[in-house]
Amino acid sequence: MSDDILYSIRNLTVEYKTRAGAVRAVDNVSLDIRRGEILGLVGESGCGKSTFGKALMRLHDGPASITGGELWFDGRDLMKLPITEMPNIRGAEIGMVFQDPMTSLNPVQRILDHLTETILTHEPGTSEADARKRAEELVERLGIRRERIMEYPHQMSGGMRQRVMISLALALRAKLVIADEPTTSLDVIVEAKFLDLLKELQKEFGLTILLITHNIGVVAEVADRVAVMYAAKMAEVGSVQRVFADPKHPYTQGLLKSVPNIKLDEGELYKMGGEPPSLLHPPVGCRFHPRCPFAMDICSEQEPAFEPVAGDQSASCWLYQKAGVQRVAENQDVHNG
Amino acid sequence: MSNIDEKPANTPLEGTTWEVELKQVGFVRRLLMARRWYGADWWFVTISAVAVLIFIIIAIFPQWFAPYSPDALAGPRFVAPGATVELSFLVVPADSSVNKLQDLAVPEGTDQASVAVVQGLPTSGDLNDAAQKIDEIIKNQPAGLRLRPIIDRYVTLDEALQSVMAGTDKAAVVQSTDLAAIKASYPTLREAGSLSGQVAGNYILGTNDIGQDVLSRLLWGTRIALIIGFSSSILSLVLGVPLGLIAGFVGGTFDRLLSLLMDSLYAFPGLILAIAITAVLGPSILNIILAIAVLYIPTYYRIVRGQTLSVKEEVYVEAAKSIGARRLEILTRYIFPNVIPSVAIIFSVNVADAILTGAGLSFLGLGLPPTIADWGIDLARGQRFIQTAWWMITFPGLAILLVVLSFTLMGEGLTEIFNPKLRDR
Repeated sequence: MSDDILYSIRNLTVEYKTRAGAVRAVDNVSLDIRRGEILGLVGESGCGKSTFGKALMRLHDGPASITGGELWFDGRDLMKLPITEMPNIRGAEIGMVFQDPMTSLNPVQRILDHLTETILTHEPGTSEADARKRAEELVERLGIRRERIMEYPHQMSGGMRQRVMISLALALRAKLVIADEPTTSLDVIVEAKFLDLLKELQKEFGLTILLITHNIGVVAEVADRVAVMYAAKMAEVGSVQRVFADPKHPYTQGLLKSVPNIKLDEGELYKMGGEPPSLLHPPVGCRFHPRCPFAMDICSEQEPAFEPVAGDQSASCWLYQKAGVQRVAENQDVHNG
Repeated sequence: MSNIDEKPANTPLEGTTWEVELKQVGFVRRLLMARRWYGADWWFVTISAVAVLIFIIIAIFPQWFAPYSPDALAGPRFVAPGATVELSFLVVPADSSVNKLQDLAVPEGTDQASVAVVQGLPTSGDLNDAAQKIDEIIKNQPAGLRLRPIIDRYVTLDEALQSVMAGTDKAAVVQSTDLAAIKASYPTLREAGSLSGQVAGNYILGTNDIGQDVLSRLLWGTRIALIIGFSSSILSLVLGVPLGLIAGFVGGTFDRLLSLLMDSLYAFPGLILAIAITAVLGPSILNIILAIAVLYIPTYYRIVRGQTLSVKEEVYVEAAKSIGARRLEILTRYIFPNVIPSVAIIFSVNVADAILTGAGLSFLGLGLPPTIADWGIDLARGQRFIQTAWWMITFPGLAILLVVLSFTLMGEGLTEIFNPKLRDR
């Protein structure tokens, strides 16, 4: 395991137990998160990206459980740790920012209490005064006035609350921050500011950020690398420039074409045919084949492996693997033509 | 759910529909809907909170308000509220050495003193009774004094009093109602106490069947009522809230079993369960409190459990987990503070209910020893004399009504104000 990889997820599988049977929301997914990068994780609603994010902290309970895989975080396999030790990791080493800032802070606690609680939980030796000082400095760094630390969450705007959530992760210098659709419920101006802040913090604190979102624009704006998920599987991973310039997986291609653009005329916006498959009964073979414009016989028979296709770009598509190589040339003609 | 939102089919004035509609409804409906239509919540809460405060002050310091001790036989039996009590008073010349009836006693064998009374009044009977009582006591004493006054009957009060002034009679016995007039027109006479030694009291709410002051018992009864109400509610809160929290948070078999137990407790009609428990434990204030507390544990349990189930799915609880908060911390710092407001509101309603149940138990004779001033006991006693002494049962009943009403109104009003889900304006 190379040293520049902070979090190496190997063959992670998460299942939800339902009355209709087990649903694999994350199926055999592998991903490397490099130190100091912002990795964007995109995909349609219900493709398993949030489940994946939560699984990285082993936050699941109730019907969901991690049924397989390894979670190598900073040289340790988190799956081998007893679940009772996970609270030591959460917050201290991996922080999380949730989608809805309106509900992700305890309505009866002051902002200060949120921060000092985090600090005191993980560093029991710290004095109240020290914790308070650190909290104030942190909040100020994130652009919230020092005095407002005594306020309750409902007195703050959505953007401020989201910054408070970030500060919770920064309070203990978490190495990895999982941001689960952090800007979805913010308006565009606040969103832009928040993303700028995220980038600044990443540089300043050497933060690693996993940015889960369905907004391709956000990924293009801030991420270094991008991972595309489709129907509980990883479709494509690569640097933002490469993937956006030359998407390999047909799903990624479709996804990028579906982004609304002001230059497009009416009716020009690409709509991908078909529906995302039911995870209860996923299609045999490649999960994208029923919707894929380049589907071949092999696609409905065998599942493609997730392999490097060009440079640091990896995809799971038969088009780039032995059996499909033959079609690549024609396909690219179609694509470019 | 509200009538104001539904527009009548043919209303000419758009926009002011509710005002038009308001004119069409009757006074009673307006009164009943006051809370919603006029935003009267605050008034309900303020008025009932003041009432509750007054009741609490009375319960803590009943001696400030009660004219008599609750057990004292303060006056004659069955005095109606506001009625003046007729006592017989002794009137003597101002220079006489007589200060009470006993001073009229003379040694055995000598002439007995003569006392003037007016014909046809109960005064002569009172004099006879009082003299006989004193005579019984003094005749066996070594001094050998006897008191068997000769009773001189006159037609009018003036004749009787003039005979006293003339010295024919040593004293006169008059009714307490005449005392003021006598003082004014006969300055040479003075009053020498009542025959029985009682003071003419003022019984605002009357006296009961053994001569206790109803008002005093009422005021002292507030203390018992509130002690029962508060202690049993606090006890069931202290037991019910943690059980509900833990059951809701932990879930699983523990939750199932506990909920089953609580539901079966809840299934009993309240008073019947309380009767069963006190019947087993025996009458005492502690046992009443225990019985009522058991009765209300399921109320707290169910509400807290339900709230916990919903709060624990909130994002901020998950966020707490993501910053490494442990289960106990999540329970005490995230779930408990978010659950407790609804508990505070049902507490107030619960106190009212507990007072009612406590009074019910006492009324049935299962609650407190009958020597204690308690509304339920007074109700039960008053019931026997409901045809002759209506005040004995009416005032304790009204007191219960008022206390229960003010606690309930306060609780319900607070619910309306603090629970946005119930508020549809």
